[in-house]
Amino acid sequence: MKHKKILICDDDEGIVDVLELFLEDTGHTIIPEFNSLNLKTLIQNEKPDLIILDLWMPVMSGDQILRMIRNTSETKDLPVIVMSASRDGADIAAAAGANGYIAKPFDFDNVLAMVDKYLQ
Amino acid sequence: MNTFGNGKFNISGESVTEDFNLLTQALDASISGIIITDSLLPDNPIVYCNQAFEHMTGYDRAEIIGHNCRFLQADDRGQKEREILAAAVSQGKECKVEIRNYRKNGELFWNELFMSPVKNSSGQVTHFIGVQNEVTTRKKAEQDLRVQKSVMEKKIEERTAELRDSEAFLTSIIETVREGLLVLDPDFNVISANYHFLNTFKVSQEETVGKPLYELGNHQWDIPKLKELLIKILPTNNPVVDFEVEHEFPHIGKKLMLLNAYRVELEGQYKDQILLAIEDITDRKEIERRKDDFLSIASHELKTPLTTIKGYIQVLEKGVPADASDKYKTTLGKVASYVDRLNNLIAELLDVSRIQTGNIELHKLSFDFDAMIHEAIEGMRTSATQHEIILHGSTNSQVVGDESHIIQVINNLLSNAIKYSPDAEKVEVNISNVSEYVKVSVKDYGLGMTAEDKKKVFERFFRSGEIQKRFPGMGIGLYICDQIIKNHGGTLWVDSEIGKGSTFSFTVPKKSSRKDEA
Repeated sequence: MKHKKILICDDDEGIVDVLELFLEDTGHTIIPEFNSLNLKTLIQNEKPDLIILDLWMPVMSGDQILRMIRNTSETKDLPVIVMSASRDGADIAAAAGANGYIAKPFDFDNVLAMVDKYLQ
Repeated sequence: MNTFGNGKFNISGESVTEDFNLLTQALDASISGIIITDSLLPDNPIVYCNQAFEHMTGYDRAEIIGHNCRFLQADDRGQKEREILAAAVSQGKECKVEIRNYRKNGELFWNELFMSPVKNSSGQVTHFIGVQNEVTTRKKAEQDLRVQKSVMEKKIEERTAELRDSEAFLTSIIETVREGLLVLDPDFNVISANYHFLNTFKVSQEETVGKPLYELGNHQWDIPKLKELLIKILPTNNPVVDFEVEHEFPHIGKKLMLLNAYRVELEGQYKDQILLAIEDITDRKEIERRKDDFLSIASHELKTPLTTIKGYIQVLEKGVPADASDKYKTTLGKVASYVDRLNNLIAELLDVSRIQTGNIELHKLSFDFDAMIHEAIEGMRTSATQHEIILHGSTNSQVVGDESHIIQVINNLLSNAIKYSPDAEKVEVNISNVSEYVKVSVKDYGLGMTAEDKKKVFERFFRSGEIQKRFPGMGIGLYICDQIIKNHGGTLWVDSEIGKGSTFSFTVPKKSSRKDEA
């Protein structure tokens, strides 16, 4: 598989670090981001192939970002995986237009399988 | 014989002796005692008495003639009737008194005495004639009546005081309860309102009592749901309990109220009056909401570092060096399983909060019950290697319910069965169809429990004293299971004996046809 660009956004640095470790051996390029406000510019500049997005982040929440992505013509089909520790996370993600959903705490193999699926 | 001409004695010279005898006999035949006293002699002595008088007084004629009448009063001289008699005698008038007299043997009798003077042609009083009737029986009856009357009056006074007391007591209860209480007449006018009502809704007695309910406080009680309760529901469903009404009041803001309504059906002055108890649950609901919010946020925040820890552990597990010791590998495995447990505890805590406030959502879908059981047992087998989990029976049923919740219950019962039978080798699961339900029993051969524990085992945070020491946990698993099964319309129960083990069973309605009939 060709190496792709994965943008990971979570306000918790530990989560981003763990996901980078998970995906390290895949050879994909990881773009970590802790501040959701930077995402719009980052997406425009980096043009990632997949976004992994946390739901509850300060200022701009994951579902708000996702709606913005879906409402922008260049990114409306961009695969987005939403992850959350919230009980209602799956419903919120689906309603906002997520392709996949991962409940925290997540499992190594599940994360890798889902990333593979949406990078096909 | 003209003796009785014109209805009177007609005493004439020819028959005077005969007539006199007749008169005497007439006097003796009278049941009234008759005496004549001579006013011209000193001390008015009795000069005549008839037989009835002798009989009445118990004295012989010989003992009577020549005495003043006062001998009949013996020593009872203080009676005011004596003064009336004395006055009549001195003034030469007639009188009537009821006076206490005493027979020869000392016995009291009431004497109704008529006394009238006899005057000569010059108007001088020559004699007094006394006619006496014994009225002891009547007097006694009168006296009894008076006693009876005073007893009755006293009783009524006591009863009235009791009534007033209990009314005051009831009123003080009504005024003290922390719940608004209104009494309405059949046309919904307020008859009374207690202190808590007035206080909660910031109104005065004057602007409430006597007013139609809907007009209270500038029509602020004109609430459609309240009308529905009073007009539509109450007439056919008496009483109405826990009727929730939300309403925005102009001055005190939005209130969430729980109403109980009761229409008096008892015949009598209160018939068809309506009692309306109003509980303001606004604050309670707000506190529940905040608690839910707090727990949601807390569990979310706790899960975030947990996710990181779990992630790092998985990274370590993937990269275990080839020469790593077994001890290193098993330790890593243990860390992973304890992280999972911590995660489950956090999830349970949130579940309890949601169940308690009724916020748990059931996603009911039809699922294959036996497949679900197999899957749950298979999942448990991989982690519980010491115990053999044996499944008996089958249901071949589709069940409409929240599969993930039912799995949660089965997992909980299985892990309890394993946890509390550390020395046993097997756990048995039995599934069957019972009427329109499916039934699951999980039997362990472990510690068992006392009757006392059995009662409380489904309570929140219940931990058996003995068990608490040996097995850690928060004691909310079974509480959640119980709530889940209740939410599905089934029951969860336990049969257990100390030292022999416990069997937890539950039923849930299928609410769908069997697979082979579908």
